[in-house]
Amino acid sequence: MLDKVYDVFARKDRGDQLVHIGYVDAMDDETAKVHAWTTYDEERWFEMCVVERTAIVPVNRDDGPFAKARRAAHHD
Amino acid sequence: MTDVLDVDSLPAVDRRALERLILTLADSKRLMGIRYSDWLLGAPSIETGIATSSMAQDEWGHARLVYAMLKDLDIDPVAVEHDRSPEEYASIGALDQEMPDWAALVAAMVLVDGALTTALASFAEGTFESARGRVPKMLAEEEFHASLGTAWYRRLARSEGDARRLLIEATEAMLPDVLAWLGADDGPARAVANAGVIGPADELLAAFRDRVRDVVALADIDVDRATATTGWDEARGRTPGHPDEHAVERVRGDKNRALFVE
Repeated sequence: MLDKVYDVFARKDRGDQLVHIGYVDAMDDETAKVHAWTTYDEERWFEMCVVERTAIVPVNRDDGPFAKARRAAHHD
Repeated sequence: MTDVLDVDSLPAVDRRALERLILTLADSKRLMGIRYSDWLLGAPSIETGIATSSMAQDEWGHARLVYAMLKDLDIDPVAVEHDRSPEEYASIGALDQEMPDWAALVAAMVLVDGALTTALASFAEGTFESARGRVPKMLAEEEFHASLGTAWYRRLARSEGDARRLLIEATEAMLPDVLAWLGADDGPARAVANAGVIGPADELLAAFRDRVRDVVALADIDVDRATATTGWDEARGRTPGHPDEHAVERVRGDKNRALFVE
């Protein structure tokens, strides 16, 4: 329904590792930002960002969600 | 920096004008929250439902902060929040009825929430100290509301069939009330503008039109040609009518009254 999958990354405090905290479905970058911020609001994040899943380049696996998303995008 | 308004030295008529402005902003925020809350479970996706839930919380938080500004006028906000009848509410007329479909809520996000943000942005830059301090955080939170509203408006406007038709109908239904509210140029509106509390009606209308012009144009609606609702209730600062009884019961928290603690 919402077209795209975005992976969500965040760090709780300045200097923390940026970690993958989940994903959201969204129409575009702007709605992905809103969905990520409102869905993963259990912490007061110092920094949060979203990445469209098809933009992630898998390095060592071709059977995970990132590889599948990339293959599907390239077949469109 | 603009001078700070000395509320205590305001003439009575100007105090009532400031009270009306605070009430219409706070009541509209609270009703906007109710209308968002109706879609927690009916939105088009889980993420969108979570977003409307968050936006409902934002609006209620904003309303609470704006009601609290009444203390500057020696008015008890608790009684105002919990003891008024629907006929006393000063919320924007476009919020009087529940949103019948998702397209109507999207139109309200862009038009009603957009009008409130336009007014609050001006309020934050005015002479009323409480607004200067409390409103900027609200405006930051409203950026997410605007992003979601614009994205959905774009999507529905570009769709075919019922979704686009419903969006156009909702926009045409809401716009006149919003224009009447922002464009009010009666005595109380001029009083708060003259005191530097908020911009004059023409300035607010121009800012609103700039904000939504390109968005509603996607539905072939020209905000510069749209006309305001005729009829005006000067006492409340809104068009005639009132929010539905059920919404106000929820706003007041009637069901929880027995447990009410402040």
